[in-house]
Amino acid sequence: MFNISKFTKPTWLSVSWLGLMLFLAVFGSLLPFKSWKFVYENDLGVVPFSPGHILGTDNNGYDLLVSLVAGTRMSVFIAITAVSLGGLIGSALGITAAFVRGKVDTVMSTVFNVGLAVPNLVLALALVSVLATNVDINQAVPTWRRVMVLIISLTIVLIPILGRIARGATLSWSGRDFVTAARSMGMRDRKIIMKHIVPNVLPALIAVAFLAVGVVIIAEASLSILGVGIPDGASWGGMIARGRNDLEYSPHVLYIPIIVLAITVISTNHLGDVIRASLDRRESKV
Amino acid sequence: MSKFGFWLQRVTQVLIVLLLVTFGASLLLRLIPVDLATILIPNGSESEREILRTEIGLNKGPIGYYLQWLGNFVHGDLGKIYFSGGTETVSGHLAKAMPRSLLLMAYTQVLALSVAIPLGVISAYRAGRRTDRIISNVLFVMSSIPGFAIALILIIVVGVKLAWLPTLGYATYSEGIWEHFKHMLMPVLSLSFGLIATYTRLLRADMIASLREDYVTMAMSKGLSDRRILWKHVFRPSSITLFTSAALSMGGLIGGAIVIESIFATYGVGFEIFVAIAGRQYISLQSCVAVIALFYVFFNLIVDIGSGFVDPRTRDRRVNV
Repeated sequence: MFNISKFTKPTWLSVSWLGLMLFLAVFGSLLPFKSWKFVYENDLGVVPFSPGHILGTDNNGYDLLVSLVAGTRMSVFIAITAVSLGGLIGSALGITAAFVRGKVDTVMSTVFNVGLAVPNLVLALALVSVLATNVDINQAVPTWRRVMVLIISLTIVLIPILGRIARGATLSWSGRDFVTAARSMGMRDRKIIMKHIVPNVLPALIAVAFLAVGVVIIAEASLSILGVGIPDGASWGGMIARGRNDLEYSPHVLYIPIIVLAITVISTNHLGDVIRASLDRRESKV
Repeated sequence: MSKFGFWLQRVTQVLIVLLLVTFGASLLLRLIPVDLATILIPNGSESEREILRTEIGLNKGPIGYYLQWLGNFVHGDLGKIYFSGGTETVSGHLAKAMPRSLLLMAYTQVLALSVAIPLGVISAYRAGRRTDRIISNVLFVMSSIPGFAIALILIIVVGVKLAWLPTLGYATYSEGIWEHFKHMLMPVLSLSFGLIATYTRLLRADMIASLREDYVTMAMSKGLSDRRILWKHVFRPSSITLFTSAALSMGGLIGGAIVIESIFATYGVGFEIFVAIAGRQYISLQSCVAVIALFYVFFNLIVDIGSGFVDPRTRDRRVNV
């Protein structure tokens, strides 16, 4: 699936960019920074490349590099958790449905269709806003609860999308001769799924999972812009939402998270495409 | 199975999906860990809340509540918006918002298609050459940039720095056609940005496949001009895929439009949902989600039926869907 010697320049760039983002997400807290909520009272709205603030500060006095590292941590964490959970649950359901067929398949397909009948963002929005409701409108929902709710909602959005892909891929593999052969030799269903179906379905799922990471990152940002995501700026979307207030006087507050977000989504989409293209080549050889 | 039986089955499927979606939405509402009546009228007295509970069926249990909501929904009563004292109805709001959303979508589709069609034809014609590679790479980047990013950059550059276009609000036709388009231009540009890329890539791939067909070789050997072959023999069959996907993308457009509409304060359906969430008017939210799902699902069904009529080849492809 990954043939490193065949990587083109854009592929290398994407891999390194995503590596950098992962690094910041995992080790960002070890960097010698003050808390991202530290206010530099004398440096409000400083432009990028100023001494002391490489990416500048916003009009509240937050340093943007520090915010960005904290935001990367949050956005990457949400994206990876939601995609892994959605991928695991979705593929388990999809593979089972396609392998067992019959009533289970009908029920599963209906459930997937119900999920797909509502546009992604509308579904996520409805879930987030309902799950993160407080009685008192003036009392803020704590950030950890918002993060949990976001992850749960985005996972629910992803399950039918990834589940349907897994179901389709399983359908095309479970009819092949080697599966029939394994069955005729008395292999257990569970073992057939683990040994013959999963390894073949996995590459297609990984390709879609890369695209799904992009979808989740954009969805998180959209929800934050709508005011139901991460409110106080601790994610890329949160930074964009907060930067909208400074739009007129310090547009760089908006440009920085937008550029980082866009490059990340371009990278994940590109890698998804590369994996899918290599799959297509393998398929045409079979 | 007979053709009629096939469509009957499809329609039943769609109805079941719709019932489940709306039931899911109303179940979700009942899952809120706090009292719904308190959220809907935070400043109301306990007796007002009691009246509200009976009025919308909150005292009935999930199924009873859903059946009452569904009965009202079918009769066109989508509930009320309570923060204004309960005088405004959701259907009244939607009647105002829906035409604006539909206009926004129509403009977006027209713009996206009128850019994507020439681009797709050129890049299929020059497939693998420099022009095609440049177009493909630019489009790939375009397709990865979310609409809200375009919207915000447009606001900063065109709206604030250059001050050419208004950054907020909506103008009806009666307020002047020029004003109307000035308000619509930036939302339409941000929404169509990603669509242009999707449509062009789709058209290019489909046209390259069509170019390999025997009838194209035949047309070429007859000495027809490239232009004529491209438009008459290749674009026409390929355009069906394009228009199908354009129709199917309406659903995604409704979702994407929520963010764009709330950024530009275009009072469409997306903005209505945004307002419902910000004001915690969950009955309105439930009805709006139901309306969007209704549009989305029926659009898909119509496309499904329609494309079967237009291009009989597609009928056999959908056996296992």
